[in-house]
Amino acid sequence: MFDQILCIDDDPIALMLCKKVITKAEFSKEIMTAQNGEEALLYFNSLKYNTKPTDLNDKKPRLIFLDLNMPVMGGWEFLDHFSTSNYSDFNTTNIIILSSTIDPEDLEKAKNYPMILDFLSKPITLQMLEYIKNKMSI
Amino acid sequence: MKNKTNQITLIYFVISLFLAIICHKYLLNNISNTQYYYFSFIKDLVFIILTGLLFRYILSKNDARNITVFEKLKKSNDEIKESNEKYNIVAKATSDTIWDWKIQEDNITWNKGIESVFGYKPEEVGDSSRWWFDKIHPEDSIRMSVKLYSFIEQKTEKWQDQYRFRCADATYKYVLHRSFLLKDENGRATRMIGAIQDITKQKEEEQRLKLLETVITQSRDSILITEADSHDGKIPQIVYVNPSFSKMSGYQSEEIVGKSPNIFKGPKSDSSELRKLIKAIKNKEECSIETISYTKNKEEYWVRYSMIPIFNSENEVSHWISIQRDTTEEKKLEKEKEHLIRELTQNNKDLKQFSYITSHNLRSPLSNLTGLLNLIEDIPIENEELKEILNGFNKSTHLLNETINDLVKVIIIKDNPSIQKEEVLLNEVFENVFNQLNFQIELHKPIIKLNFEKVTVLNINKAYLESILLNLLTNSIKYRSKDRKLKITISANQTEDSIILTFKDNGIGIDLERNRDKVFGLYQRFHNYPDSKGLGLYLVKSQVETMGGTISIDSEVDKGTSFTLIFKNK
Repeated sequence: MFDQILCIDDDPIALMLCKKVITKAEFSKEIMTAQNGEEALLYFNSLKYNTKPTDLNDKKPRLIFLDLNMPVMGGWEFLDHFSTSNYSDFNTTNIIILSSTIDPEDLEKAKNYPMILDFLSKPITLQMLEYIKNKMSI
Repeated sequence: MKNKTNQITLIYFVISLFLAIICHKYLLNNISNTQYYYFSFIKDLVFIILTGLLFRYILSKNDARNITVFEKLKKSNDEIKESNEKYNIVAKATSDTIWDWKIQEDNITWNKGIESVFGYKPEEVGDSSRWWFDKIHPEDSIRMSVKLYSFIEQKTEKWQDQYRFRCADATYKYVLHRSFLLKDENGRATRMIGAIQDITKQKEEEQRLKLLETVITQSRDSILITEADSHDGKIPQIVYVNPSFSKMSGYQSEEIVGKSPNIFKGPKSDSSELRKLIKAIKNKEECSIETISYTKNKEEYWVRYSMIPIFNSENEVSHWISIQRDTTEEKKLEKEKEHLIRELTQNNKDLKQFSYITSHNLRSPLSNLTGLLNLIEDIPIENEELKEILNGFNKSTHLLNETINDLVKVIIIKDNPSIQKEEVLLNEVFENVFNQLNFQIELHKPIIKLNFEKVTVLNINKAYLESILLNLLTNSIKYRSKDRKLKITISANQTEDSIILTFKDNGIGIDLERNRDKVFGLYQRFHNYPDSKGLGLYLVKSQVETMGGTISIDSEVDKGTSFTLIFKNK
């Protein structure tokens, strides 16, 4: 069980679903949410400046569920910022793309980001979480 | 002759002497006066001798004159004979047919040419001028008669003409006719000598050349002929341009002959193309270029331009022939086409993007619905009616999800023309497919015969092949006949360059006479089954074709259906 994970999605129902499924699966103790990439970056900024470096390791989310298609700042833009040195403290965070996209280009793009653990199709399910658990423990 | 003169003189002497002696004797006997006998006799003698000498002189003088006249005559006779002989030899040697027309008597004679050239036997040849005139082609005869009379009336000096002359076999030959007149001392035409030369061959050749020439003069393409050698790195000088060229370039023939085609060059001309041309001319090689040229009025036009070297019998370039075509219109069309293609590609891209966004926007709420329904599954529901409603809600959502997933597949297949292929084991693929259909296979227990001995490995996209076989198998099971046990035969065969997969069942079949065009269409359904969406075969065809294969169907109602899939081997 993770201590904390972050779900980034603009769709409140999707976020609600995430919370419910994750809670049900006892996948994580704490579930943070952000409505778009910018909000997520702000969250990481506040984590970085308001937390003592020694505590940071415990406080930072271990896994991010990231939607691609969002207003203000989409998934790809978020990833571009998140992989810069500004966020080097968090570069061990795993990211799972959770999207409804079917554009093959998105799948290709995902290969360019080493921090992306997997590219999964909505909706989030118990089986999916089981699969991720297995994949990350290896 | 001299002797004859002497002879006559001698005879004269003898007779006159004899007469003188007779007279003298007679006088002696009958006249007594003898005093003058001798005197008279001597006088007679003297007279005889004198007249005899005179006679002889006159005679010999006459003779001499006769001899010169005779000799002259003989000489001219010889000359005539010789010239006659010459005439005969020439008449024989020449290919011309010669005739001689005595105008007053209207008598015309022909040499042998009339037989050897025109085929008339001597007995067929008429002896009047009318016979000759009748043989002239009707279209030429009026012109010829006008000319003939003006010639006889000596209004024209020489007469040389061409007309068609009929042969014995009723064909016509082109002849060149030359004739001259003989006149009497009053200057009246008495004879006309003519020579007719068969020029059919030349005429035919001339007409052939004329015909060939029309290719140049009438051609829509511009044709230029230039000299062999170039000066100062220019294109060789022009010696001929055809009318089309004048029309295209605006230059008249006389303005341009003797100049180099370099004058068509202008600021927008492609100088690398021109260099290519000059190089080819140097190497005496054929060459074709395309560039912008300029007319006399400095208007630009696109021209496709070829230069072909013409070699003479010594294998040296004698001329260059250049064929040019105004391609401005073509270029314009090409540009329009390019523009259109660009626009279409952009439109297509936009549409694709649109379909991705639409499908994303459809899928997002749908995935929420599915997720929420998954959560409901674990919540016990007491209310039976609510349970029923939720059940229907669940079914519809799943059906909607399936449809959208199928559509998404179609979109992605259409977008991915070059998909990755790999070596696939047929048996392995079938195992996967059967596993996915395990439940249905267990339920209906069809007889499935696989025949993959000839082909075991296919170079193909594995996911597509699986999807294709899954669809076909599902169809076979779904549309099985209720009257007999389902039997499916799948076999693979190999030809020289392709692999053929046949998929055959004994199901209810499709009425192909009514539906042949629609079988592989999108949203085409042929049986009223609740879970048929009309997508399967469309998807199958799309996938087969994306991998460069073809699919065809053969089916009979209530007998079964068979599909033939052909994939290229390489």
